[in-house]
Amino acid sequence: MLKIEQLKFSYPVTTSKAKKNTSNTHPMCFDLTVNAGEILSIVGPSGSGKSTLLNLIAGFDKAKSGEILLHGQDINHYDISKRPVTTVFQEHNLFPHLDVFTNIAIGIQPSLKLSYDEKLEINLALEQVGLFEYSSRKPAELSGGQRQRVAIARALVRKHEVLLLDEPLAALGPAMREEIIELLKQIVINENIMALLVSHQPSDAILASERCAFINEGKVLIIDETKQLLQHPQQAEIKAYLGLS
Amino acid sequence: MVLLAFFISAPLLSLFFASNLLGRQFTQAQAVTLSFWNNPYLQRVIVFSLLQAGLSTLLSVSLGLIVARAFARFGKFPLRHIILSLFGLPLVVPAIVAVLGIISVYGSHGWLPLGSKLYGLTGILLAHLFFNLPLAIRLLLPVWQSIPQQHWRISSQLSMTTRQQWKHLEWPALREALPGVVLLIFMLCLTSFAVVLSLGGGPKSTTLEVAIYQSLRFDFDPSLAVVLSLLQLGISLLLALLATKLTYKPDVEATLNTFNTQIPHSSSKLFLGLLIAVASVFVLSPLLAMIIEAFQGPINEVLTDSKLWQAAAFSLMIGLCAGLISVSLAWSLLSASTQHAYWGNKKLASLFELSGSIIYVVPPLVIGTGLFILLSQTINVFEWAIPLVIIINGLMGLPFVIRTLGPAIRQHTMRYQRLCAGLDLHGWQRFKQIDFPLLRKPIGLSMALVTSMAMGDLGVIALFGTPETATLPLLLYQRLSAYQIPQATITAVFLLMSCLVTFWLLEHFIGKQQKAQYA
Repeated sequence: MLKIEQLKFSYPVTTSKAKKNTSNTHPMCFDLTVNAGEILSIVGPSGSGKSTLLNLIAGFDKAKSGEILLHGQDINHYDISKRPVTTVFQEHNLFPHLDVFTNIAIGIQPSLKLSYDEKLEINLALEQVGLFEYSSRKPAELSGGQRQRVAIARALVRKHEVLLLDEPLAALGPAMREEIIELLKQIVINENIMALLVSHQPSDAILASERCAFINEGKVLIIDETKQLLQHPQQAEIKAYLGLS
Repeated sequence: MVLLAFFISAPLLSLFFASNLLGRQFTQAQAVTLSFWNNPYLQRVIVFSLLQAGLSTLLSVSLGLIVARAFARFGKFPLRHIILSLFGLPLVVPAIVAVLGIISVYGSHGWLPLGSKLYGLTGILLAHLFFNLPLAIRLLLPVWQSIPQQHWRISSQLSMTTRQQWKHLEWPALREALPGVVLLIFMLCLTSFAVVLSLGGGPKSTTLEVAIYQSLRFDFDPSLAVVLSLLQLGISLLLALLATKLTYKPDVEATLNTFNTQIPHSSSKLFLGLLIAVASVFVLSPLLAMIIEAFQGPINEVLTDSKLWQAAAFSLMIGLCAGLISVSLAWSLLSASTQHAYWGNKKLASLFELSGSIIYVVPPLVIGTGLFILLSQTINVFEWAIPLVIIINGLMGLPFVIRTLGPAIRQHTMRYQRLCAGLDLHGWQRFKQIDFPLLRKPIGLSMALVTSMAMGDLGVIALFGTPETATLPLLLYQRLSAYQIPQATITAVFLLMSCLVTFWLLEHFIGKQQKAQYA
C-alpha cells in the first residue's frame, strides 16, 4: 500500500510590485492512499497540484515535510533513482535516436549491456503491449498510442511497484485512449502495481479506476468512487470543475 | 568556471599591476594617466579606433537594411537561398584572407584599382563592409520574417503605400532589433585586428588593437601596451554595459532560416533585383578575384614549400585544440547552468552562462598582452606561442559555442531531464547514450565554428608567433609584408580552403544528421 501523509510543498511565487520582487508561497498538502493492484485517478482543475503530487512522489520536487509510505517505509528522503517509482509522461517518454527495443532496454541497463534474461524480458514486455514486431522502429515511426505503449513496456520491465501516469492519454484520440486504459488496467492487476493516473478527462477516470481523488488548490478535497464522484457530484468545487453549476 | 575565471582574471590583473596603478599613490597614478591623456598619439589612436568603427557600422547597417529589405520584398529572387547561404561565408573566412581578396579587387593590379587610397580608412571600411554587410543582412532579414503574414494581408486590404508599410509594420519591428545589431557590428569593428594591421597603412590609421601589438612587438614598450589594453578594455566594458540594456540580442549563427513570408511588394522588381545583385557582387568578388589570381600564380613553388605545410599543421592543431577546449568548457558551463535552471536556481544558472560570455568583452589582444606581461618574467613566451594561442582562442570561441549549443541543451534538458533522472541515467552513460547522440549536430557546428575561426586567427599568434611557429595566417601576413603578393594570394586561398574543408568535415562527421525526429 502507498500512503501519502501530510505531504507539504509550496512553489515560490514572484509578484512584481514596482521594481522589487517579493516572494510568497502557495501551500499544498496531500493525503491519500493507493492499494496494490489499483489505479487511483487524480482529477481537478488546472494548476490545482495534480502533477505536483506525482512530482513529489517521484522525487522531481522535494516535499517540505510529510511522508510517502510504501508498505510502511518512508521513501520521501530517497534519491530519485532509489525510489521504486516509474513515471509515464504525456510526451517525450522516448529518446528519438533509439529504437523501441533500446528505449525499453535503457530503463533496466543504461550501459545497454544486456544479459540473455534481460533481452527475453524486454521481448516479453513488448509482446504484452502488442509491439513485438515494432522493436526495431524509431519513435518517429510510431503513432502516439504506440509510443505510450513503449513507455508502459519500459515501466513493466523496471518492475517498480509504483506507476505514476502524468496525463499519458492527453495526446491520444478516443479509441486509442480506451485501448491504453484497458492495457493499463490489465498490467496493474497482473503485476499488483499501485498506479496514480492524472487525467483531464472525467471519462478516462471513470473508465480506468474504481476510486478517484479530486484535488483543489493543493489539497485532496475528497476521495470517492469514481462514478459517484464525477457523475453525481455533491461538492460545489467538483460541480464547477465539471461545468454543472 | 574557476578555470575560466583564472584565465581571464590573471592576465587582466597582471595588466593592472603592471600599470602601477594599484601599487602607487593616487596622485602619482593621476599624473601617469594625465600624461597619457595629453599624448597626441594616444588621442589619435582612440579617435581613429572609434571613427573607423563608427563609419564601418553606419555603412554596414544602413546598406544591410536596404539589401535585407530587398531580399524580404523580392522573395522569388533567383538563387535567393544560395546567395543567402553564401552570405554566411564571411563568418568563416579568416580576416587576413579577406584582406587579400580586397587587395585582389581594389589593389593597384585589381579589377577596380584604388591605388594608394586603399591603404588607410578606405581599405579598412571596404574590408569591414565585406564582413559586416552580409552579417547585417543575415541578422536583419529574420525581422521581416517575424512580421505576421496577417499584418501584410491587412496592410494590403487597407491599401497601405510602401512608406506606410514601412512606418506601421517594418520600422516597429526593426526598432527593437537595430540597437543590438549596431552594437554587435561596432564591437566587431572596434576589435578588428588583421584588417587594420594589413590595410591600416601607418600611424595615421592605427586602432587600439594594432597599437597594442606595435607597442609590444616593435616599440618594446610594455607600459604603453598596458595603458592601451586598459583603454580598450574600458571601451569594451562600456559597450557591454550598454548591451545589457538592450532587450534584443542578435544570434550569430552559421545557419539562417531563408524561409520567405509572402510580402506584397510595390517596388520595381528590377530595382530590388539590382540591389541584391550589387550586394552579391560586392561580397563575392573579393573571394572570386583572389581565387582567379591564385591560379595565375606560382602554385607549385608555394605548395612545395615545407613552411606552408608546417604552418598548416600548426593551424590545424591550434584550431582543433581550441575547438575542443571551447566545446568542453561550454558544455560544462551550459550543463551546470541548465541543471540549475531546471531545479529553480535561476540566478546561479545565469551566472554560469554569463561567465562563458564575459570573454566577449575582453578583446583577445588584451588577454594576450596580459599573459605576455605576466609570463615574460618567468618563461620565454615565444617558445610557448602555440599553447598560449590555443588557450586564448579556446576562450574566445566560448561565446559562439554558448550561442550555438545553449538553446539546444536547454531544450534537451527540458525534455529529458526528468526522464533521465527517473531512469537513473547520469554521468558518462547519459552522455554516451543520450546527450551526445541527440546534441551532436550543434556540437559539430560549434566545433567547426571555433576550429575554423582559430585556424584563421592572426591576432594572438601575431603577438607570440615567430617564423618557427608561424601558422598559416601569420605566414600569409609575413608574405604580404614582404610584398610577395602572388605567393600570399595562393597561401590565402590555401588557408581559405583549409578552413572551409575543416569546417565541413567537422560539421559533417561530428554533427551528422539524426534520421529520427524528436518524439
